Amino acid sequence: MSPKQDVWQGTLALMVLKTLEALGPLHGYGVARRIEQTSGAQLIVNYGTLYPALLKLEQEGYISSEWGQSDNNRKAKYYKLTRAGRKQLAREAKEWEQTTAILERFLAPGEEHS
Amino acid sequence: MRTLRGWLKRLSGIFRKDHRDHDLSAEMETHLAMHVEDNLRAGMNQQSARREALMKLGGVEQTKELYRERRSLPVLEVLFQDLGFALRTLRKNPGFAAVAVLTLALGIGANTAMFSLVNGVLLRPLPYADPDCLVGATNYYPKGPFVVMRERSRTMDMAANTDGTDFNLSGVGVDTPVRITGASVSANWFSILGVTPESGRVFRTGEDQPGNNALVILSHSLWQRRFGGDPGIIGRSIMLDGESREVVGIMPPNFRVPSPKTELWVPLQLDIRDIGDYWGSSYMPIVARLRPGVSLEQARHELAGLRPQIFAAYAWPMPNDAWAKSTLLPLHELMVGDVRPKLVILLGAVGLLLLIGCANVANLLLARATTRQKEIALRTALGAGRWRIVRQLITESLLLSILGAALGLSMAFYGLAALKSTLPADTPRISDVAVDARVLAFTATLALLTGLLFGAMPAAGASRVDLTKALKTGGEKSGAAKGHGFSRSLIIGEVAIAAILVIGAGLLVKSLWKLSTANPGFQQDYILTARITPNQSFCEVPGRCQSFYRDLLMRVRALPGVKGVSTADGLPLSGIWETIPSDIEGFTVSPGAHGPMLMERVVTPDYLHIMQIPLLQGRGFTEADTADSSQRVALITKSTAEHFWPGQNAMGKHFKPRWLKDWWTIVGIVGDVREASLTQNVPDWIDGEMYIPFGPHAVAGRGPERAPAEMTLLLRTSDEALLTGGTLQSVVAELNRDVPVSQVQTLSGWVSDAVAGPRSIASIFSIFAALALTLGAVGIYGVISYSVAQRTREIGIRIALGARRPEVLLLILRQSALLALAGIGIGLVGAFFLTRLMASLLYGVSAADPATYFAVSVLLIAVALAASYLPARRAMRVDPVVALRYE
Repeated sequence: MSPKQDVWQGTLALMVLKTLEALGPLHGYGVARRIEQTSGAQLIVNYGTLYPALLKLEQEGYISSEWGQSDNNRKAKYYKLTRAGRKQLAREAKEWEQTTAILERFLAPGEEHS
Repeated sequence: MRTLRGWLKRLSGIFRKDHRDHDLSAEMETHLAMHVEDNLRAGMNQQSARREALMKLGGVEQTKELYRERRSLPVLEVLFQDLGFALRTLRKNPGFAAVAVLTLALGIGANTAMFSLVNGVLLRPLPYADPDCLVGATNYYPKGPFVVMRERSRTMDMAANTDGTDFNLSGVGVDTPVRITGASVSANWFSILGVTPESGRVFRTGEDQPGNNALVILSHSLWQRRFGGDPGIIGRSIMLDGESREVVGIMPPNFRVPSPKTELWVPLQLDIRDIGDYWGSSYMPIVARLRPGVSLEQARHELAGLRPQIFAAYAWPMPNDAWAKSTLLPLHELMVGDVRPKLVILLGAVGLLLLIGCANVANLLLARATTRQKEIALRTALGAGRWRIVRQLITESLLLSILGAALGLSMAFYGLAALKSTLPADTPRISDVAVDARVLAFTATLALLTGLLFGAMPAAGASRVDLTKALKTGGEKSGAAKGHGFSRSLIIGEVAIAAILVIGAGLLVKSLWKLSTANPGFQQDYILTARITPNQSFCEVPGRCQSFYRDLLMRVRALPGVKGVSTADGLPLSGIWETIPSDIEGFTVSPGAHGPMLMERVVTPDYLHIMQIPLLQGRGFTEADTADSSQRVALITKSTAEHFWPGQNAMGKHFKPRWLKDWWTIVGIVGDVREASLTQNVPDWIDGEMYIPFGPHAVAGRGPERAPAEMTLLLRTSDEALLTGGTLQSVVAELNRDVPVSQVQTLSGWVSDAVAGPRSIASIFSIFAALALTLGAVGIYGVISYSVAQRTREIGIRIALGARRPEVLLLILRQSALLALAGIGIGLVGAFFLTRLMASLLYGVSAADPATYFAVSVLLIAVALAASYLPARRAMRVDPVVALRYE
């Protein structure tokens, strides 16, 4: 796996966690749509890539899954944030904010001469 | 942590594959359906809605594959695939699997058993506190020097014990007196070893002084057997040698030191007033614990420095060279030094055996790889990488070796029990031997190594297939030729190793045969011996002991079937004798050197006759020599006479124990007897042997002239029933109920015990060699059979062209004989160098004994021919019509 993909995986995981925090229990399709909408259709090219990411989060214990009924009576697998997931989200979000803050300062034009 | 959890989940994912696959498919379906619905709601028609949804989802199979990879561990999954495939392949070839697994099990099992022995005896630390600090002296010391060293040493705390002392146990819990082996130890002995009693206490400082030492500590087994495990025994007294001793402690079950026979411990009696005992007799081994921060080198230096102080304290001048060579060794090394080379040689032998096993299995795999070439070529053509194929083949061989190791381990338990019972009971630390974690680790390592060893070459060869050739009909030929060269070298190597092992076994057996048939100087058949041991106190009344023995001899002589009877203070090869420092008439000793030492045998007149020791000159003893009015007369052996009076007649010469005034006169010269061992008359430090009659002037130890209390009775009979000793015991009991009879054994039993060590090594080595020979034969059979099968076509052509069938038979036998000859050639050279390592175990035969080498070569050729006879006969019967149509 290339480093770029690693970053992508981390970001995707963070987005999944955030989505589940915001919307509550949700099936894979819903998560995919939500991320697509929020990111302005720029991030997810294939919905399929989401499922291995969901599996990884589940294996790490940040989310749990359960089969349930959807609004129009369809059998769907629902993902839900666990307590560990909530903590992880807070931690990751904080780290992300710090990273972007640093990068922002770094990339801001002209600053280094002042 | 999270990562670990992820890995565990993935690991478990391997086992729920179908379920999870189904789960994912369902999830994907739901996903698609929802997306299609959304698209329909957005106004698309059915067809484009589905198309868009599918495109958006991406490659479903790719997703599934990604998902699968994430779900479990692909490496493991491949491994399990390989294992499953390997198991199926083995099940399809049960014959091959059975031979391979059995061969490996034999090799690995024998190695595991042998390693358990080496581990328990040589590798495991002694079961004492801080065993690395325990050292022992290489020489023995009497009590006086020991006390000097114990008091003066600044680098170590020193203790001493006797090698073994027998006691008469009577009184509490004992109906008839029994003979028990124990040891006398200094008061600090237990605490220096760092062992604690099961109950009660060990001896305390000062309890080895006269007056304080009427104490005893029991072994667990003696306590159970004689005192019913009664904990109240502590504080009570038991009777040992007619004297009362208080029981102060009981040792735990596994503590049997200094010998496995030890059943009780009493304190030494360090009585400085008993000058002869204190400074002269009873030499003891010394153990010591290095004080913190002291190196072995420092302690050795100090030990050497203590010699002058010992000499200064001595009651009489000591020769300059006394204890000059004594030094310290780690206690473990001192204990097992003698068996180390033997065990190492056996371990080496069994390692070679495993190599033969590996070669056999490698050959089997090679043959199979050739027949599997099409399968492998097909898989390569279908895209399997070379590495993938090698991995598959290595997995197969590892599976074989692991199965072999599992079976071998269970065989090792039996093998180890057999090894332990074959080795002499006095092998040091034999009771510590068991299968422990280290042994299991050894077996596991062995399994992996052997699997790689016999698997690597065939796997590498098989994976390098030429696709076009292999897939064509009859393509096996090319591979066959290639594999064959290698398998021939394997066979040659196998025969070479087998030759080395069989030659080693041959030398050991020949040496054992020489040892057992060596003339010990006496006649051993139909003689029963028994130790008769009245208490010393019983014999302190003058004449009482002598009359007891006189009565006993008279009664035994009167038994039906008894042809003769006699007593002696000890038997040849029994390790019991007295050493008498002597003055020899006309033999001057330079000042500061050792005076002559004579081995003493106190015997009754019939002894020479019963043992059939030849009288070479003069006369033997008569009854008159044992009478109260007798003169001081003695016999000496031929080599003693030659040593002290070379070129003169020793008859009528005189000698005396150094501490007495009166001289003994030599009245006869007798044949030499192997007293110390079957290879030695007397030990190196003793100069000769003399016989003294059991009468008023009998000498025992260094005391005044005093008849020894403990004697061995010898009885010549042709009656097998008498040889069991039961009658003898009742005769003694009739005469004196307090005298135990022990060590009831035939004289030939003693002789046989004397070769127990060499015999056990020879038998174990021979078993290994026999296994090597069998495996070698199986290997030759396999390779020749395979070659005959490969050459069927060629043989068919030869026969069709007019070759006579016996010629075909010879052709095949010649092939096998050539292989065997090459192997034997290498083996002989190898044996020439390797058997030198066991020169110390050989007696009367050189490590390069030509007769053995020749006999083994002939044997191996015969085995090779026998092993190839069946396949050769098959070749002879080849029907040319069938053979040419074949393929």
